[in-house]
Amino acid sequence: MEKMGFGNVTSTSKTMKIIDTEKKISVLIVEDNLLIQKIHKVMMTKFGTEVQLATNGKEAVDLFLSGASFDLVLTDLEMPIMDGIEATKQLRSMGVTSMIVGVTSRNQDSEIQAFMNAGLNACYVKPLNAEKVTVVLNELKNI
Amino acid sequence: MERTPLHRRVAYMRRCLFDQGYLDEQFVQLEDLQDEANPNFVEEIVTLFYTDSARLIHNIEQALQNRPLDFNRLDDYMHQFKGSSSSIGAKKVKSECTQFREHCSARNAEGCIRSFQQVKQEHTILRSKLEAYFHWQRKLDKQTESYPELAA
Repeated sequence: MEKMGFGNVTSTSKTMKIIDTEKKISVLIVEDNLLIQKIHKVMMTKFGTEVQLATNGKEAVDLFLSGASFDLVLTDLEMPIMDGIEATKQLRSMGVTSMIVGVTSRNQDSEIQAFMNAGLNACYVKPLNAEKVTVVLNELKNI
Repeated sequence: MERTPLHRRVAYMRRCLFDQGYLDEQFVQLEDLQDEANPNFVEEIVTLFYTDSARLIHNIEQALQNRPLDFNRLDDYMHQFKGSSSSIGAKKVKSECTQFREHCSARNAEGCIRSFQQVKQEHTILRSKLEAYFHWQRKLDKQTESYPELAA
């Protein structure tokens, strides 16, 4: 399973479109792999968003507990200390209504469904690409 | 447009990497992220990949020394390796990682040991091909700087 959550990907454009908003969309990338963190950070920045990083679920939860807020959280599933499922559950139980999108290299339906059940808005199989990001940001604009 | 021999060489090398199955579309995604703000992005990411994967290879080599084999741990390491490989578009490396994980699922020790050799081989081959490609790409960039009228 490649994706779960939003509607079908209709955009085939490879061009990175900067989403035109008055205020920059704020994104929290929750990812322990430095390589993937760097790729996702540059990708999201290129789309005109403001990016902050967390290396595991606990860091993400702590950020929200400290008063930070984000329009979008992109979270990996498997991370040390606190994984994506636990982090998502905690964020939702804290009343966080930000869009939370899972990005995982697990592609079994059961694994993705378990991740979705934690409270995600959508879940994508890694790696992120321009098309997936476009769908997510357009979905965010429509909320 | 491929005007100079250097342009043609770099374009040919790049085409081969895709045509021969070493790289997939994800590498193009990385190239699309390279711009004035991140002028050496692709090479930086590839360098980071090889640093990260060297660590994973070492971990897997150590784990393969244990008897009995801890297939869950091996699978975890290879899952990380596959994820990183996938992120840079390393198609053949990713494919060999998948094979290894299938042997882990089947608790096939010999299969794991054999397929790990394939993973390392493809990893090494890709490294030398990318190093050569970046070497010529840098030469092309220098040519473009010196002779902007020759830029593609």
